[in-house]
Amino acid sequence: MSPTGSLTSADGRRADVELRLPADGAYVSVLRTTTAGLAARLDFTIDDIEDLRIAVGEACAMVLPEADPGSPLLAEFFLAPSELTVRVTVHGAEIGEPDFDSFAWQVLDTLASNATAETDGEAFVVTVMMTAEALEPSL
Amino acid sequence: MTADTNRDGGAPGEAPSAGTERNRARSAEFFAVLHDAAAHRSAHECARDRLVHLHLPLVQHCARRFRNRGEPHEDLVQVGAIGLLKSIDRFDAERGVEFSTYATPTIIGEIKRHFRDTGWAIRVPRRLQELRMQIGAASAELTQSLGRSPTPRELGERIGCTVEEIIEGLESNNAYATLSLDAGDNHEDSPHRLLDALGSDDENLEHIEIRESIKPLLDALDPREKKILLLRFFKNMTQSQIAEEIGVSQMHVSRLLTRTLAQLRESLHDAS
Repeated sequence: MSPTGSLTSADGRRADVELRLPADGAYVSVLRTTTAGLAARLDFTIDDIEDLRIAVGEACAMVLPEADPGSPLLAEFFLAPSELTVRVTVHGAEIGEPDFDSFAWQVLDTLASNATAETDGEAFVVTVMMTAEALEPSL
Repeated sequence: MTADTNRDGGAPGEAPSAGTERNRARSAEFFAVLHDAAAHRSAHECARDRLVHLHLPLVQHCARRFRNRGEPHEDLVQVGAIGLLKSIDRFDAERGVEFSTYATPTIIGEIKRHFRDTGWAIRVPRRLQELRMQIGAASAELTQSLGRSPTPRELGERIGCTVEEIIEGLESNNAYATLSLDAGDNHEDSPHRLLDALGSDDENLEHIEIRESIKPLLDALDPREKKILLLRFFKNMTQSQIAEEIGVSQMHVSRLLTRTLAQLRESLHDAS
């Protein structure tokens, strides 16, 4: 995956839902709500939805401080049965290495089924993947 | 609570029912004064005051039913006390009901109203507040019967509304408390942020092992070398000050320190 935020996932698929927001903390709730709405349609449990909401919020907490003023935050959603991947990207002039010791990353990494954070000097991409637990409890 | 009800003269060990009985009598007495049209205004006020004090434990009891709901206990007692005042003013002793029977719903109603009106960080329409409560109850039930947390679709089927409405209801949950997970609580004596309250490994623990292994080595040192170490590392004196203190040149102190430290390091290394 190229960390420049091209609109395709690892297997070259185009994002199912894209959202471009001002890179400002005030808009994070919009992103969280969108995430919850999509996850609900994929039949995630409300616990998983809540986890996803928090994880997406923390992903934003990681990338937003690095964004150039006035630049957008790009959120891409990849939908699959029982699986939701959210990728947030910002662009900035001086983006350092992701801080894997930060509070945000610790929370994010714990909640998501899989999470990655990459930078290439001008783009900062955080991907959060959540897999829904099997719906029927195993007997 | 018994401490309060037995306050006036009850012998230690006396059955609490006797205290309750006395309280009931005193309460009736004060109400008689309060409702006595002939009594002076100051007597009215005094009786009302005493009644409030007498029944304050009831308010505290009611407020305790709402503990761990995120509102400070003191606030709930305050609000509940307003309910108590209202019921004292409206109570009609001639109806033949106990005052506590009459006052409890009023006090609890006042506390519930406090939650409804001020508990929410963002004002949410009543329909959503109710939906939120339905969702809360239904998800507790479903979690129990399914053995996992329910999906919005399952919740919708149980409550009889659409997935959209469930999402809206869940969204209103977030209006109840809008603060960041990382924001601090209001207690003055607690750390300002959650992050500050999280523990970390005490570095001193790592040092214990080193300290314990170095102890016998220090004891084996020559008294003068030991003194130099002490002055340098515990009293934070410069090498020149140490030189003056023990009467040798600074160069000599430097050499002695280097040698002692090298010795210690070597012995530690050998030991491990």
